[in-house]
Amino acid sequence: MRDVAIVGAASTPFGRSQWSLLKLMAEASHAAMTQARLGDRRIDAVCVANMGSARNNRQAGLASALVDRLNLFPAAAETVENGPASGASAVKVGFQAVASGMSDLVLVCGGERMREVNNLEATEFVSYLSHRYAEYPYGVTLPALAGMFARLFMAKHGVTAEHLAMVAMKNHANALLNPNAHIKMELSLEGILHSPHALMNNPFVADPLRFFDCCPVSDGAAAVLLAPAEMTSDLTDRPVRIAGIGQATDTQAVHERPDPTELTAVRIASQRAFEMAGLEPKDISLAELHDAFTILEIAQSEEVGFFKRGKGHIALAKGETQIGGRLPINTSGGLKAKGHPVGATGVSQIAELVFQLRGEAGKRQVKDPRHGFALNFGGFGNSVVATILSRGF
Amino acid sequence: MPATVNAAKCKSCGALSYPMHFLCPKCGAREFEPEPIEGEGELLTHTRAYALALDYEQRYLTLGIVQMDSGIRVTGQLAIDEPRMGMRVRATVGTVRVTGGSEISGLIFVPA
Ligand SMILES: [Zn+2]
Repeated sequence: MRDVAIVGAASTPFGRSQWSLLKLMAEASHAAMTQARLGDRRIDAVCVANMGSARNNRQAGLASALVDRLNLFPAAAETVENGPASGASAVKVGFQAVASGMSDLVLVCGGERMREVNNLEATEFVSYLSHRYAEYPYGVTLPALAGMFARLFMAKHGVTAEHLAMVAMKNHANALLNPNAHIKMELSLEGILHSPHALMNNPFVADPLRFFDCCPVSDGAAAVLLAPAEMTSDLTDRPVRIAGIGQATDTQAVHERPDPTELTAVRIASQRAFEMAGLEPKDISLAELHDAFTILEIAQSEEVGFFKRGKGHIALAKGETQIGGRLPINTSGGLKAKGHPVGATGVSQIAELVFQLRGEAGKRQVKDPRHGFALNFGGFGNSVVATILSRGF
Repeated sequence: MPATVNAAKCKSCGALSYPMHFLCPKCGAREFEPEPIEGEGELLTHTRAYALALDYEQRYLTLGIVQMDSGIRVTGQLAIDEPRMGMRVRATVGTVRVTGGSEISGLIFVPA
């Protein structure tokens, strides 16, 4: 296998966009490509991450449409659909193409335009991730699965509504430092939990989870450009290496898991990524976790191995996961506040690590990071991709 | 005949699974017989979900995961006003969704 570098990374603003899906994706892709000194080199392949363009945006064959939009003919084109883990899955597919020697320059772009349909349609669309016969017919949605998970997890480990609110407050604060974030709003415990208006400001969505425990529905795109190590010095002065990737699958129906509070695929995917990178959780300088719901950031921080089981909320309460803490988590604002355009999310997590490792993260810059970790989580933990990036070679 | 919801009982090793997989998760055999999901169990977790998908007119749905005494676990709707983790519940079968005019039957749990 050849070593693989990221030589360009970019994101559009996330939120409600006036741009079409292909415009969003072309903007992110172009920005990532122009960071590299490509000269006469051609892009060999384009790998797109998206979950619902055929349903929500009346566009199928998205990757070839993007090649067309960007005039990258005759680049190979393919779309990866792996639920909310599509983004990191597409980066993995691009990595394999470069590592194998089959392709040199591979553009990976994740995009989703969710706000083209109304909230009801968006909720319905995302609920298709649940088991078609054992969950979906009951009206099970992703927030409902997260609510049932949260109730069990909180009872088992002593996590309170205040801990969940701390995740939201931290990630909203980080998003205020990220110009591309969807939600620019400072939160206080008083406002979302303790004031007489808290139930109105922050109503239950799937109890015990409330409005500010859930990520928004966003439009957006993010892109990275991959190249083999030997080409890197021609293309960029600040290469980032893909050091490890791990992936795992768990049961589709959450109730079939031996312990429904455990996210086994997160644990296995992370172990595999650390093994490939030759690193351990303590080597990681910062992490982007898949906080579609606040409870998930806490649970994942334990399954990845950053904190002991049942101790994630304690590290959070001590401030260890803030920017400036021992292990900053979701410096970008996370899905919670940066936003969650489904297919874009995994690519955007990896792009945030690139910005941080290149020292380009502005006001949210972590001091001298060496290794970054991203966890992209599909369904309710049935498909998980962990990615580790390292600075330089 | 009243509607039932069935688990899959492996004809080789007798293991129950729900939902059915193509092969038995225990022994890998692929012949099953239907085994109605009925009787009692323990409510493991639950939620009152407000942001509902298509097909639902009501303000919220109460959903839960139940450990059945038969050994399998299932997800279902709860017809229980104040569900509590660990409470005993009993499986009934009723309409859980109406899609395009057709009624879908599923598990609805009541207090045991
Ligand atoms: Zn069997």
